[in-house]
Amino acid sequence: MQDQEGDVVNVEKETLMSAQASKDDEWTKIRDDDIMQQHSAIQAEEALKIPFVGDKEPLSSLHAEYQLGSPILLQKIKVLSEQCAAIRRTRGDGNCFFRSFMFAYLEHILNSQDQVEVQRVKANIEGCKKTLLCLGYAEFTFEDFFALFIEQLDSVLQGSEDSISHDELLQRSRDPSVSDYVVMFLRFVTSGEIRKRSEFFEPFILGLMNASVKQFCKSSVEPMGEESDHVHITALSDALGVPVRVVYLDRSSCENSSINLNHHDFVPGSGNVGNNGDSESINPFITLLYRPGHYDILYPK
Amino acid sequence: MVDLARVQKELHECNRDVQVSGINVTLKGDSLTHLIGTIPGPIGTPYEGGTFKIDITLTDGYPFEPPKMRFATKVWHPNISSQSGAICLDILKDQWSPALTLKTALLSIQALLSAPEPDDPQDAVVAQQYLKDHQTFVGTARYWTETFAKTCAAEEKIQKLVEMGFPEAHVRSTLEATGWDENLALEKLLSS
Repeated sequence: MQDQEGDVVNVEKETLMSAQASKDDEWTKIRDDDIMQQHSAIQAEEALKIPFVGDKEPLSSLHAEYQLGSPILLQKIKVLSEQCAAIRRTRGDGNCFFRSFMFAYLEHILNSQDQVEVQRVKANIEGCKKTLLCLGYAEFTFEDFFALFIEQLDSVLQGSEDSISHDELLQRSRDPSVSDYVVMFLRFVTSGEIRKRSEFFEPFILGLMNASVKQFCKSSVEPMGEESDHVHITALSDALGVPVRVVYLDRSSCENSSINLNHHDFVPGSGNVGNNGDSESINPFITLLYRPGHYDILYPK
Repeated sequence: MVDLARVQKELHECNRDVQVSGINVTLKGDSLTHLIGTIPGPIGTPYEGGTFKIDITLTDGYPFEPPKMRFATKVWHPNISSQSGAICLDILKDQWSPALTLKTALLSIQALLSAPEPDDPQDAVVAQQYLKDHQTFVGTARYWTETFAKTCAAEEKIQKLVEMGFPEAHVRSTLEATGWDENLALEKLLSS
């Protein structure tokens, strides 16, 4: 039944196209628009399923998701549930790492009211601005994104008339006119850091794709919706001086058949601290859950 | 909502160094969402000497969505539709970033004029010719530049002389006879 309907649509499309094809290549233009339209349709559909940043859910919801899934994953989730109390999902639109980072960071500042941390990160943001200017970015291309993030940072600190509540922070993180601007701010910071230390990042980038550092930033960091990798996380964590813990939930299992939940701590300035152990003293306040292709926010107990 | 403040900044910055880049952006009407970009044809290409106008429309999502750009001047190029002016360029599609600007996009289009990518064509006919009969391609591209990318200047010259009171047909033939030299044509028109 579904197939038949699909056929009818296809036939209609084909007739439409052959009619247009005689009129020069007008249809190639339509095809582009079609793609764009389809793209935004998919986005709208995704948006209905999950906002940019979701509600806090108990970890059991993750368990429910894999009810019929791999036993390795279920066992890992069990281990995870001993360490973490809750998960907050983000939309899988390619910006999930940046969006998770944004919310987790601002939420941490909102809860901790850590003025020292805010001053520290602001100084680093100033440094990022200088980096971008040195690299030849025109100030007007990034200043709005920077200003908007500083505004969010100031407003999660309580006690001024612009202060916002946790609910308001969540609303703003779901509003593209704030959320997308912050994502873009983080993309600028990441790109600037990678290019500033291109010698350090070059071997990692060559491992991912056959591209120069600059090309990589232009094609895989600066466009919205481009997914993040180790390189992005390392650069952002270093540039802002914010440690990030990423917990990996995948099917990999250890040889001795004991279930081991891997994590990696991205610690600014120290090179990254390796897996499991060694890093107990660092205790990053941003913890993310990585499942192949996607990041969500975790809340450790 | 189009970020109008950003568009204004862009127009200001772009037109500040128009002497250096040769690239400028102007309003098409009185709206900041419909613009006309101008790029000089790159030197050493069949587009040299031409002035190409790009029709620019900004959608609500700008600068998160790419600007819609197409050639308003007809151009013979593998990655540009010879009919509609549609441009095949990654940064105008999925590789767009808010870190880019109208000016950097126009510079990329100018670079595309210098370095066609016939393996990823917008206009299959042109791309075939580019690959199989390069000499004819260069000839056609140059002819199109002469005919379409320079007429603007020619029309302006005609207009100017017609406004002085000479009949249009006479102005046109005199300009053609003097190789479109305005001053020579004026002398000739005055002495005839």
